[in-house]
Amino acid sequence: MANIRLEKIKPLVALGVFLVAWWVVPTTVKSFLRVNFSEFQAPAWVATSYLDDLEGFWARRSHSKVELIEAGREVARAKSLYQFNAQRKETLENEIQRLEAILNLPSRREFRYEVARVVRRDLNAWWQQIIIRKGKDYDIPEGAAVVFSGGVVGRVVEVNAFTSRVELVTSPNFRMAANFEGDERPVVYQGVVQGGLGAPIGSVRDAPQDVVASTQFPLKLVSTRLGGTFPPGLMIGRVSWLEPGSTGIFQAGQVELDTSLLGLREVAVLIPLYPIDFDSHAP
Amino acid sequence: MLLDPRAILMFGANVLLLYLTLLVNSALTNWSIYLLLMGPMLVFPALYLRHQSYFICTLLTGLWVDAAFPVPYGLFTIGFLFAGAFVFQMRIRFRAEHNYHPIMLAHGLNFFCVVLLTLTMGFSYISSPGFWVQVFVTSLASHLALVLVAPWFFNFERMLFELCRLDTEPEDFPML
Repeated sequence: MANIRLEKIKPLVALGVFLVAWWVVPTTVKSFLRVNFSEFQAPAWVATSYLDDLEGFWARRSHSKVELIEAGREVARAKSLYQFNAQRKETLENEIQRLEAILNLPSRREFRYEVARVVRRDLNAWWQQIIIRKGKDYDIPEGAAVVFSGGVVGRVVEVNAFTSRVELVTSPNFRMAANFEGDERPVVYQGVVQGGLGAPIGSVRDAPQDVVASTQFPLKLVSTRLGGTFPPGLMIGRVSWLEPGSTGIFQAGQVELDTSLLGLREVAVLIPLYPIDFDSHAP
Repeated sequence: MLLDPRAILMFGANVLLLYLTLLVNSALTNWSIYLLLMGPMLVFPALYLRHQSYFICTLLTGLWVDAAFPVPYGLFTIGFLFAGAFVFQMRIRFRAEHNYHPIMLAHGLNFFCVVLLTLTMGFSYISSPGFWVQVFVTSLASHLALVLVAPWFFNFERMLFELCRLDTEPEDFPML
């Protein structure tokens, strides 16, 4: 009889002992466990991503020669346009450097672009993140900016051996300094909880009173060099309306983000060439 | 034996279910649909195994799931053990050899996981209607998916037992 009773409370006793043990175990042990379990899972995701690439390769192999020749022509056209743009960019860069030298302006942050495939997208009510196929093996730093052809994607929040976790611009935990295109005054962009229906959105606050936005003439919200993570001028989203914020001094509004953010396949991580040393650069 | 070999198979099946779920979720992002299918992972270990094997299997599953998501480490480990202990205590009342009771349990446990996540990760957004809309859509989609996934998953686990020539009966028979 006593044995049966003991058998009945065994799960509760074990749970109690485990809870006490979990509370006592140092954080380093838990971090060690987390890292190891994450690293165990990573190869499966990396392999899936490579299989996806292989599938794409075989899908392209099935195209006819005529289609491939046509695609090659289009690529050649795009290449010549980009070559022309690259020359123009170089000329403008030189001009900017000359003017900066004349005006004695402080140097700008330079970035290296590391293009990475997205291996997993995880967008839900509780978190908004993607996993990319590059990590410590490509010197991806924590906190690095992540961008795509449509603008800002988010920020690297965790780096593993072969993968990195990126918190998306839609996440409520994501916040960055921004400004409206053509207006240097800084505003604050922050992600919001996504309703799940319709396009992704964010919020902007601390906008000056004289800024006017409308659905006919939406304002472009772009990144600023304040904060140091993002280069200036990268598209964040469009603002169609602004209303007085909670303080009454500034305005706040909703930011319409690019719908491509929901189906990202490839992104670029911006790695600072000269990382800021907060200890030595602090005033 | 320290560990029932079925516990290893169940853990492997749980890992596979999580991987497949995340793969589907990754493909469904354009439709803003997310599936949370964790209920089935807890059912068979609690119904089929002796306490020691159940505990190890559920603990490893919890640690694995915790590492896959950006949640406070230990959330699912403790949550799974808590829910598992509840089911384990009452397992004599359930018939594990048919799918009806396991499916019902899987739905209940899955709902527990949704509530656990909402309380832990979404506490600061509870005043946002958008958050509740998305939680509702996620719960609805997950439970609809479970109608198909849970029987498949339980049959798959039973098939693994047969393939590996292991005992296909639970440790405790139900009270008739």
